[in-house]
Amino acid sequence: MSLTSVNLWETVKKQYFFKLKANIDAFSSLIGIQLLALLFSFGGVGSVGMGGGNFSINIKYYSADLVIGFTLIWAFVTAIVITTKPYRNHDFTFVTNRLSSSLSNILYLLTASIVGSITAILAGNLLKILAHILLDDQIYSFNTGLQELVMGIGVTILYVFFVTSIGYFIGTLVQESKLFIILIPVLFFGILFLEASMQKEPFLINVFKFYGMESTLFLFIIKVIVTVAVFFTAAISILNRMEVRR
Amino acid sequence: MQIADWIESEILNGHFESDGKVYSQYQLAEMYTINPATAAKGLNLLVDENILYKKRGLGMFVSGDAKEIIINKRKNQTLKRLVRELVLEANRLQISEIELIEMIKVANDQEAEQ
Amino acid sequence: MRVIECTDLTKTYLRKNVLDKLSFSIEENKITGLIGRNGVGKTTLLKIIAGFIKETSGQVKVFSERPYNSLNVSINSIFVDDQMSFPPAIPLGEILTVAGNFYPNWDRELAKGLFDYFSFDPKSYHNRLSKGKTSTFNMIIGLASRCPLTIFDEPTTGMDAAVRKDFYRALLKDYIAYPRTIILSSHHLDEIEDLLEDVLLIKDGKKHFQMSISELKEWAIGLKGTTEEVLNFSDGKEILFKEYFGLNTMYAVVKNDFSEPLLNKAHLVGVEILPVQSSDLCVYLTSETKGGIDDVFNKR
Repeated sequence: MSLTSVNLWETVKKQYFFKLKANIDAFSSLIGIQLLALLFSFGGVGSVGMGGGNFSINIKYYSADLVIGFTLIWAFVTAIVITTKPYRNHDFTFVTNRLSSSLSNILYLLTASIVGSITAILAGNLLKILAHILLDDQIYSFNTGLQELVMGIGVTILYVFFVTSIGYFIGTLVQESKLFIILIPVLFFGILFLEASMQKEPFLINVFKFYGMESTLFLFIIKVIVTVAVFFTAAISILNRMEVRR
Repeated sequence: MQIADWIESEILNGHFESDGKVYSQYQLAEMYTINPATAAKGLNLLVDENILYKKRGLGMFVSGDAKEIIINKRKNQTLKRLVRELVLEANRLQISEIELIEMIKVANDQEAEQ
Repeated sequence: MRVIECTDLTKTYLRKNVLDKLSFSIEENKITGLIGRNGVGKTTLLKIIAGFIKETSGQVKVFSERPYNSLNVSINSIFVDDQMSFPPAIPLGEILTVAGNFYPNWDRELAKGLFDYFSFDPKSYHNRLSKGKTSTFNMIIGLASRCPLTIFDEPTTGMDAAVRKDFYRALLKDYIAYPRTIILSSHHLDEIEDLLEDVLLIKDGKKHFQMSISELKEWAIGLKGTTEEVLNFSDGKEILFKEYFGLNTMYAVVKNDFSEPLLNKAHLVGVEILPVQSSDLCVYLTSETKGGIDDVFNKR
């Protein structure tokens, strides 16, 4: 029987479509989570009221922030889940190596990030429309043209993808050793408390400033992409050494 | 070798004619759910005993004196073994050689009468 | 051509050598039976060949490549056992399609034919199958993928006798039509021996022997007769197995290097010469102790 030779990207492509099909449930849970977030947001995320005499003004802020927040958590969990044993084993039932397995996972997470971000941003707009129709609120929206909408989606995608890379890396560490389940939270909160007790500015603030306060879009994109690449590369190099189905 | 025995029997009862083609190793393998290599060994055994002959690219064929060879072989193997066992049992029962030959003669006569 | 070549292959788990300097090779398009007692490292060996796990030391080559992380090995081989895992979200019918996307030689008609013959429901799910059905389904994937190297690790786990028979027949028919290298590991050598061309027997993580099944069948003989005579004829030979019957009858299994006249002589003094089933022989050869189960009770 003659041998077939195969190239990496062809395999990755097949695995990617396989994963979309196999992990379709993740997308239904995304819808559930975003609907839940919408419900929570329906009261408005903040409101200012004033009145006097025979008038009263009530200003409510509606935003998709909560939806985006929930989407980030969803993305984080999804990324961790696909590093677990059953998911790795599914790959090894068919054609794979560890690199193609991770690359297709990353493509899948990118897809999840794109879908999650688009639905999250659109959900924000939906919220405003619903508030207008159902609550009869008058909308004074910031000018959201198509360009801003697209940019909003783009930036959200970067954030969500960023979170998946952290999730994938942490998930991989946990697969390497279950000790990390304890170690990571201990390290995370330990440093927070330590810094608090030393009256230092928490590093999280710095991290937030480094990414979130970046005013140049281009630099922001570079920063996120580099970080994402670092996390994924680290995860791949750990996974490359990992045995399956032992 | 069961395959060889089976083909021998088929030749004896005329299922395979002289110079007729016998089954290939693959056909035998399928018929008996055995590995084709095992079937080939069975066929080669018969070739070694001149019961079958090979025609290059065409397969295995029954040789002209296949029946005789098989009959002779079975005579030598089966009958000799039976006789040995007979002698052995006779020894155990302390039956003399003459007595044993006499018994064989009687049995042979009885068979002839029938 | 050699499909698999192992040299001094060693695998260590928790400082114990599961495989210990194992060296062997497997030729192309042969069906080889991997035989050995439980826990001698058969599955470990097969998983190294499939590239699932890493060798600790030594060398392993499959299609002239190290299998670990090799895409070429992965696409040209399949490892089938009852632990094969499939995504719970994909129904059985679609799994066949997915497998067809991955494996270049996939035979859709064969897969569908076997799928219907064993009455699987395309809308059912893999994790809801019974043990026997799981093995049957995995076997279908293994056969229909038609990989140049097909590995079945205890493929008949949980299958009933009828399905096992069907499986062996399906395997052989497809092998005849599309010859490929197949490794079958099984506890039931007696069931699979007719399918095999070669046998690789592993003991304590080492190769005990590798030979063709026809050699194995004639490798040993059993002597049965009076204890005195049997001992006499097996003198100077290693007795692989012995058993006593009644007052003074003994059965001994020894390597068959007797000459024809010697066998006749044995026969004449009343020693029966019996063929030894290859599955029994493998049990004798791989026994951990020299005695048998009776010794446990005799000591009390």
